[in-house]
Amino acid sequence: MADLTYSSVNRDVIKPLFNPGLAYVATIVVTLAVMGWGGYCWYYQLIWGLGTAGYHPPVFWGVYITTFVFWIGIGHAGTLISAVLFLMRSRWRTGIYRAAEAMTIFAVMTAALFPAIHVGRAWQAYWLFPYPNQRQLWQNFKSPLMWDVFAVSTYFTVSTVFFFIGLVPDMAAVRDSTRGLTQKIYTIMSLGWRGTDQQWRHYMAAYGFFAALATPLVLSVHSVVSWDFAMAHTPGWHSTLFPPYFVAGAIFSGCAMVITLMLPLSKLFSLEAYIHTWHFEHLAKLCIFTGGILTLAYGTEYYIAWYSDNIYEWGTFTDRVVGKYWWVFAIMVLCNCISPLFWYFKALRTNMVGLMVISILINIGMWFERYNIIASALAHNFDPGSWVYYTPTWVEMGIMAGSFAWFFLWFLLFVKIMPSVAIAEIKESIRPPLKSEEAAAK
Amino acid sequence: MSHAVSTHNAVAPIKGVYRHLDCIVEGIAALKKAGFRPNMTVLSPFPRHELEDLMYEGEPSPVRWFTLVGGLFGATMAFSLASITHANWPMILPGGKPVVSIPAFTVITFEGTILWGSLLTFVAMMIFSGLPARNLPKAVEDPRFSNDCFGIVLQGLSAADAARARSILHHSGAIEVSGGEEGGHHGA
Repeated sequence: MADLTYSSVNRDVIKPLFNPGLAYVATIVVTLAVMGWGGYCWYYQLIWGLGTAGYHPPVFWGVYITTFVFWIGIGHAGTLISAVLFLMRSRWRTGIYRAAEAMTIFAVMTAALFPAIHVGRAWQAYWLFPYPNQRQLWQNFKSPLMWDVFAVSTYFTVSTVFFFIGLVPDMAAVRDSTRGLTQKIYTIMSLGWRGTDQQWRHYMAAYGFFAALATPLVLSVHSVVSWDFAMAHTPGWHSTLFPPYFVAGAIFSGCAMVITLMLPLSKLFSLEAYIHTWHFEHLAKLCIFTGGILTLAYGTEYYIAWYSDNIYEWGTFTDRVVGKYWWVFAIMVLCNCISPLFWYFKALRTNMVGLMVISILINIGMWFERYNIIASALAHNFDPGSWVYYTPTWVEMGIMAGSFAWFFLWFLLFVKIMPSVAIAEIKESIRPPLKSEEAAAK
Repeated sequence: MSHAVSTHNAVAPIKGVYRHLDCIVEGIAALKKAGFRPNMTVLSPFPRHELEDLMYEGEPSPVRWFTLVGGLFGATMAFSLASITHANWPMILPGGKPVVSIPAFTVITFEGTILWGSLLTFVAMMIFSGLPARNLPKAVEDPRFSNDCFGIVLQGLSAADAARARSILHHSGAIEVSGGEEGGHHGA
């Protein structure tokens, strides 16, 4: 931060906005094409029914729920970085928290598609929410699925408001650097912010409360998601270990996704002065730590299954290793337990290729972890007569690919419309100019 | 010793622009000492505790009460929603489990607490910060205050007080002092 000045922060962060280059437009076109394919797959499923999704008794949760949990997990790092690290006064959050928060919101928006896709009749998804109705149909608040609706919608609302509040002063900075219609749009988006003492006073108080309120959400959302599984007595799911195991996994995958997104962002938009190796190294260390918790959880699951002497439990767990899903288990272990260990080497966690490759491996591994939990447990249930081998169909894979395109499209739009780095907070970390020091230097 | 500030026949708002943090701190302290605190608005591109401490002397923002009330309201509302729903529509009770179950409704109650606590915090921030801001004086609309400068704007001063305030701004190290012409009006 030594060479940065207040005006250079404005200039550097606002510069990448607005003027999309050819590569940017081409990327948008590709994401739209993949999204279109995903949209077609969903249309096909709506016309022909959920049979096109590869569901077969007793497996009625597959790729859609796997991908839902995956995206909710990705959405954890943003609030962890913006809220938890804010309360801890971690200086390394400053450069990356804005884009991580945006990633959180887009990830939850992506995740929210899947319950609607999964239930088939997406137009009736509003039944999930409590509303007065003539049929006297009310939600079952004792169901973990209902808890999940509340947890995810609260998480989305709070994260969005937190993100929006953080943006307001920076939108004012963009407004003051633009002219014409663009300036008018940013005037509305900045809510007329001028940085008065009264505005900063209440803003900072509210920001602190938001961080304090969002912090327990980081821990609670994936705990609640884990209860979707743990509250059922399906072998392989019914475990009190699930909440901490899921939360650690969510932070692990979220931080890996932040690395995957921020590395190209910092290079392409010349933001290396704000997002640099120091940040990525901290994220890599966080991944090593949470990956360690995850590895311990995997081992503990097996120990509990063996020690419980429950044949159904142990049967499911052994089937995951030596049964038809062995390859899913192998990918999970290699990507989540082994690959982060390479970041113990400083050369790999400070190197762009090392960071990118391992972060992508972690993302792949975390998707397969959820697939391993969901598909293998349902396919190898209590009754051997019902055992099946579930494989995703082209419709499911198309919708999943479309969800990635949907996520990346939002992120691409974000980096061109909103400042990817928090201008006001970066300025806070710069030593302020003091006349007394300048006079002493003369 | 502070002096009473006359607002009779107010001149146009005065704006002092600063580049150095220590200068604006000195300026605020001097203006407060001269009795201009009710007429002052301090502007900065980012929050600084020195400025807030000088202006508000540790008095906490009332936003916190809204957070508390929002949280309590959310908890009560969420628990009531779940309880009344189940009381009105009792389901089969396997094993004699209670209709209103505290452990089962804890998650909903927790989510209601966080949701309403956050929403009321947001509403309070908007109200107390005066957002969306529409009636601020033109003098605060300076792009330098979102870039690399700090500022002090004084409103509602008489010609005599305006001269005193301008002098204080100059002496504290403002790089530019403007406004204060006679014939100005509030909110100009």
